[in-house]
Amino acid sequence: MGALGKPIILMVAMYVFLKFVLPYIPGSAPLPSSLIALYLLLTGSGIVIFETLSKESKDAFWGPIQRFLTGETIGGLQALRYGVLIFFPLLVGWQTYGSTAVSDLPPTESRTIHPAPPGEYTGLSNPVPKTPDNIMQGKGFYAAYCSPCHGGNFDGKGPAARGFIPAPANFADPTTIAMLQESYLFWRIKKGGVGLPIEGAPWKSAMPRWEVELPDEWIWKIIMGEYDGAHQSPRTWE
Amino acid sequence: MKPGNQMIKQVLRNGTAAIVAMIIGGASIGYAQESVSVRAALTTGGLPLEDPNAAVWSSAPPATFPMSPQVHWQNRIQEVTVKDVIVRALHDGNQMAVLLEYADPTQDPDDAAALEFMVGDKKAHFAHGQPMLQVEGGPVNIWFWKNKTDKAVDMSAKGFGTLKPQEHQDVKAKGVYANGTWKIVFSRNLSTGHAEEDVQITPGEFISIAFAVWDGRKDGSGELVEKGSQKAVSSWWYFRADAPPDYSGYMYAAIAAALALGFQFVLIRKLKKGQSA
Repeated sequence: MGALGKPIILMVAMYVFLKFVLPYIPGSAPLPSSLIALYLLLTGSGIVIFETLSKESKDAFWGPIQRFLTGETIGGLQALRYGVLIFFPLLVGWQTYGSTAVSDLPPTESRTIHPAPPGEYTGLSNPVPKTPDNIMQGKGFYAAYCSPCHGGNFDGKGPAARGFIPAPANFADPTTIAMLQESYLFWRIKKGGVGLPIEGAPWKSAMPRWEVELPDEWIWKIIMGEYDGAHQSPRTWE
Repeated sequence: MKPGNQMIKQVLRNGTAAIVAMIIGGASIGYAQESVSVRAALTTGGLPLEDPNAAVWSSAPPATFPMSPQVHWQNRIQEVTVKDVIVRALHDGNQMAVLLEYADPTQDPDDAAALEFMVGDKKAHFAHGQPMLQVEGGPVNIWFWKNKTDKAVDMSAKGFGTLKPQEHQDVKAKGVYANGTWKIVFSRNLSTGHAEEDVQITPGEFISIAFAVWDGRKDGSGELVEKGSQKAVSSWWYFRADAPPDYSGYMYAAIAAALALGFQFVLIRKLKKGQSA
């Protein structure tokens, strides 16, 4: 089995490298399984070409495979041979079934959580001076209009939040308002769930369109109150 | 030796292809997710259109969905009685029936419940198909039941304030209250002649469904607490009527396995011949 042993070790080593070593090299990332399969296929093809370059190496390579398949002079491997001969048709059948069966999974939803705002809502700065009074007022408005869903503790766990999927944003979470600019919040608060673009589908956001109920100045104050209450700062470009 | 070698190459190639396909397709083993979709089971013994307590309902898998107070639009409400709805569905290839079940401590004349569906290919916001500002959304079809009349009203909407009963009333409903629980059956033909206003249900296809419930209790001054837009709502979930059983996958699998088996026999025979020659 010498001529077969090396290729098998090489294939296993290649798989281990691609799967468990490569992702940990700085600047790298885990490979998708389809890419790993492709690399293994290339490795396998390379081995076959290499082993069939000369007549000797070809016989040394194919001989054991051929003896194994025909079952002659393989002794104790006979059981393994029958196993392979039974397993292969079952594998082909299972794979065929898998590729023709109808999926029971609902359509995947590729919702963009923070879609790009329309041009007029990029780069606006908060026109309300950041004074303790204004922050206090903003927190008051927040308590009245936002806290039922987004929570008195700015954690997205208000009494009315239950049942909304996606859940109301948790402002204390560093991946929400901390990575957004104030003008982005201004857009989302003004336009609400119905202001989402197509990439925000399936439009399950219950966020109200506050522009029909609240003046802009109140919204800017609410934004200030949210950042202060959640102990976060808006993202800036500096 | 030559044909034998080629055969071996062939089998290795096919084997590798099968293994590669297995690795790629390995994640596609399907299983039903009851928590995100209502599955209408196919039944042949007649649908319990008027009977929420029929034994056949136990053959339909239940799905539970959380409810929230309606806060998207005025007039809002911040607390509602019904926290969850349990939904089952059945169909027989022509008609479908949906059983809505929820806890409500009191039976009141103004108790009411509704199902909502997207209509056609356009997506719609779950709040009555409220118009989207950047994209053109579609209409919704609402099946509304009220205890007072114990009937369904088949309605259409494309935004708040546009809700109106349809000219063609295709939906039936029947509610039964017992032991603090409402059970309401909504039923309709899978398809109607009015695809522009009614949801059309094709077995095997996922469609979007949402729920609403009004507890018709009154406050101290005799005013209804939950009415109109002040109600318990859900956002969109999925609904699918089971397609008729399809066994062709097993047939294809059996054919493929038989072909692979035959291929092995031929290959080994050729190899043996080559060796003895």
